[in-house]
Amino acid sequence: MEVELQRVGRSIHAAFPGRSRHPLRALDEKAMEMAAQDAELRAALFRFVDVTPACRSLDDLARHLTGYLDEVGDRPPPIEAALKMSGTKAGRTALGAASAAGVRHMAHRFIVGESPRDALRPIRHLWVNGAAVSLDLLGETTVTQAEADRYAERCHDALETLAGAAVDWPERPVLEADSQGPLPRVNLSVKVSALTPLLRPEAPTVGRDDAARRMRPLLRRAKELGAHLHIDMESVDTLEATTELVFDLLDEPKLRDGPSAGIVMQAYLRDSPEQLARALDWARSTRRKPPLVVRLVKGAYWDQEVVEARQHGWTPPVFEEKRDSDRNFEALTRTLLEGWPYVRPAIASHNLRSVAHAVACNRELGREDRDIELQVLRGLGDDLAAALCEHQLRVRIYCPIGDLVAGMAYLVRRLLENTANESFLGDRQRGVPVEELLAAP
Amino acid sequence: MTVTEQPAAFRNEPILELRRAPARESLLQALRALDTRLPLAVPVLIGGDRGATEGIDSTDPGAPERLIARAGRAGADDAAAAVEAAVRGAREWASRPAAERAQILRAAADRLRERRLELAALQVRECAKPWGEADGDVCEAVDFLEYYALQAIALERGPELLQAPGERNTMRYVPRGVAAVIAPWNFPLAIPCGMTAAALAAGNAVVLKPAEQSPGSAGALVEALHAAGVPGDALSLVPGYGEAGAALVRDPRVHVIAFTGSAAVGLEIVRAAGETPDGQHHVKRVVAEMGGKNCVIVDSDADLDDAVPEIVRSAFNYAGQKCSAAARVLVHEAAADDLLERLSGAVDVLKVGQAESFATEVPPVIEREAQDRVRRYAEIAERDGTIVGRAEGGPGEGWFCAPTVAADLSPDSAVLWEEVFGPLLAVTRVRDTDEACDIVDSLPFALTGGLFSRSPATVERVAARTPVGNLYVNRGITGAMVARQPFGGNRRSGSGSKAGGPDYLLQFVEPRVVTENTMRQGIPVE
Repeated sequence: MEVELQRVGRSIHAAFPGRSRHPLRALDEKAMEMAAQDAELRAALFRFVDVTPACRSLDDLARHLTGYLDEVGDRPPPIEAALKMSGTKAGRTALGAASAAGVRHMAHRFIVGESPRDALRPIRHLWVNGAAVSLDLLGETTVTQAEADRYAERCHDALETLAGAAVDWPERPVLEADSQGPLPRVNLSVKVSALTPLLRPEAPTVGRDDAARRMRPLLRRAKELGAHLHIDMESVDTLEATTELVFDLLDEPKLRDGPSAGIVMQAYLRDSPEQLARALDWARSTRRKPPLVVRLVKGAYWDQEVVEARQHGWTPPVFEEKRDSDRNFEALTRTLLEGWPYVRPAIASHNLRSVAHAVACNRELGREDRDIELQVLRGLGDDLAAALCEHQLRVRIYCPIGDLVAGMAYLVRRLLENTANESFLGDRQRGVPVEELLAAP
Repeated sequence: MTVTEQPAAFRNEPILELRRAPARESLLQALRALDTRLPLAVPVLIGGDRGATEGIDSTDPGAPERLIARAGRAGADDAAAAVEAAVRGAREWASRPAAERAQILRAAADRLRERRLELAALQVRECAKPWGEADGDVCEAVDFLEYYALQAIALERGPELLQAPGERNTMRYVPRGVAAVIAPWNFPLAIPCGMTAAALAAGNAVVLKPAEQSPGSAGALVEALHAAGVPGDALSLVPGYGEAGAALVRDPRVHVIAFTGSAAVGLEIVRAAGETPDGQHHVKRVVAEMGGKNCVIVDSDADLDDAVPEIVRSAFNYAGQKCSAAARVLVHEAAADDLLERLSGAVDVLKVGQAESFATEVPPVIEREAQDRVRRYAEIAERDGTIVGRAEGGPGEGWFCAPTVAADLSPDSAVLWEEVFGPLLAVTRVRDTDEACDIVDSLPFALTGGLFSRSPATVERVAARTPVGNLYVNRGITGAMVARQPFGGNRRSGSGSKAGGPDYLLQFVEPRVVTENTMRQGIPVE
């Protein structure tokens, strides 16, 4: 198994495209590299990106930027230059315009378009080149019923728009079927927290029931359109409501035989083995067709979970050592793959070792490559996706859609991930050798 | 008991993880168990002797027919007897080393920890405090005991003074003597516990007069302290109405009055305590925590995704019955329309209901008078402005008030200037944060305040300009934690002391300095 893992890993690694194909991307990476090396600068960058959509003018934007940069102790020359510019109104306007363009460019790296219609071209492009997508509609926090209704409408619109366009896509057998049958071309990820303003950690049933009112019609429509609906997982505060919502709804008589639907398991959670066991039990006992898709991720709310737990004096619900998460990811991968054919496994990771492990493990269990899906995030996992496509593996790229205001929370999280010292991407950028990238956690 | 043992460093008692089903179930179980024992008996306790057992009934604000505790009603003569016991008790209690007193307070904290589920359940019933808040209140009570125990040991060491050759200067803090603690019902365990624990930790004897609405929680507190080893004379319990409190305040043998409650009562206490009748050889110290009219400033660059839920929680959790609760929002005109739309929508969906339901966000208010008062202000708001958001009013019986947001009130509306102490929030548009600061400045209160802004310069400017005791930036304005957010107001909101802070115990001691000449025959002998 380990031999096969290393072989697969090296082969994928060799297929990575050369770095910095795009001059603007090189610039992005330069900025992120600077941020990765200096905690104060990173904080300034995040705070600035975060406030950008709320600024009323270029002048206002520049004032915020200089406010954050002022707090950076050891300033590299470009930052000093920016601060000097901010002394005059004209300088601030220029600085505001340049930095606004910078943020927009960064956002475009991670966010595929402002609306589903905008996204059709890039999505088709990805499909033609061998990668499927799951669309994710970014939005502000839902605090009112009207906002929940609007999000549900946007989901319906995305399903219709995608379904209308997907019929014209060329055939891509790797992406359209596994050994159990056809796979939907249209794939939408939805967030329970956006479907109701009533999610309360201490009263999961209230939010669950309110979200169900909007999720049910979405599932029905997805079934009619032959689309896949994936219910994302968020922080632990919403875990119980989300899990129960999915299992309850998919068990309703009209939804038992479709649509294709999925849930998420977060490997950084200490109790994720129990969560996964519960999902597999559910899948085995319901024998749902099409089978439930289970997307295994590391988890994207690590800082939030740790800070919240520390503020309350709780044991964090997440592993605090990265290698514990990585080890657990591999253990869960195996358990999940063993759950086939009652579930369809999807492995979502940018960690070369985790991906190679999943592929090797799947082969060891005697399964075909097409019975496992590999998922990456747009803007972060593009190179990995290209390498996986080259190996004829099934790849799905998670593509967020939304305007800058809506996308900010997502963008900041992705930037954090991209500048974190322990990330695989950081390692790759620093040119860490493949042996280390593939070392057992 | 060893008195040399140093307690471990302070950390806040963790609240229950209510997002986990087993934690919720454990509380519901405790509530069922409590219900079989109601009503609780809370006698007057003077110098360890039980007095009257009747005269005050506390009831469930969500079901006023349900009797929660039957307490003895202490009058002026009981108050006098309790002070007499305290005079005796103070001498003995003060003679113990701080470490020994600390040990006893920490044992009381353990006792509260053991009973934490039951004590939270009691608050749910007696004060209609929702679970999360009730559990937080019990934890805060534990924190006060632990924190002041540690502080008392540090305080006993006294500060270092400058020394010159031939003299030895020492400074020590000694207990003042008898402390009268007059406590409110809205934090029925934590606030009486905090004031009592501080006074005891510093070496004073205490006469505790709890609010007539929550004698049950006060009884549990006194039981824990006595069981832990506080002598009967050093701690008396006199449940009662105004006459017991007034008698304590006027008693010439009382040295410190620690009060938390309304501004009207607080100012009356300050006046009465200022009297120095013949035979009273001291000036009384008043530690007062009073009301507020707390404002949250929302600048144009605020993140409304954060601001809206945090404002809603600050204004409406526990039906706005916290002195720290948000009463006004001062929003930059550029963000006002968005904020109002989202805020009103978020208030529309608030769950009004019984405190025992985990889904409830807004429980009933404490009593009929409170309901009448809140409704009166809501009518004024309707007359003087526009109601932009209102949740359904809740079930029939119980003292429910519909959570309400009002906007565009005429500048002189009483809703903008008087403390409502209920689920009513007023939103005012401002040109900029400077105008918002002017409004904050024009209020007689200065307890808590909030600011939502992402500009470091604005945060610094508002922090420098605002007189409030506790300013919260980009978060809710309630829920101060012991040792992390020492809590207390300025202006007419309080006497400036900070509960749960490093200098709170200084209110309960007097400083003494001894200077000794160490020269003998022209030679320094040290």
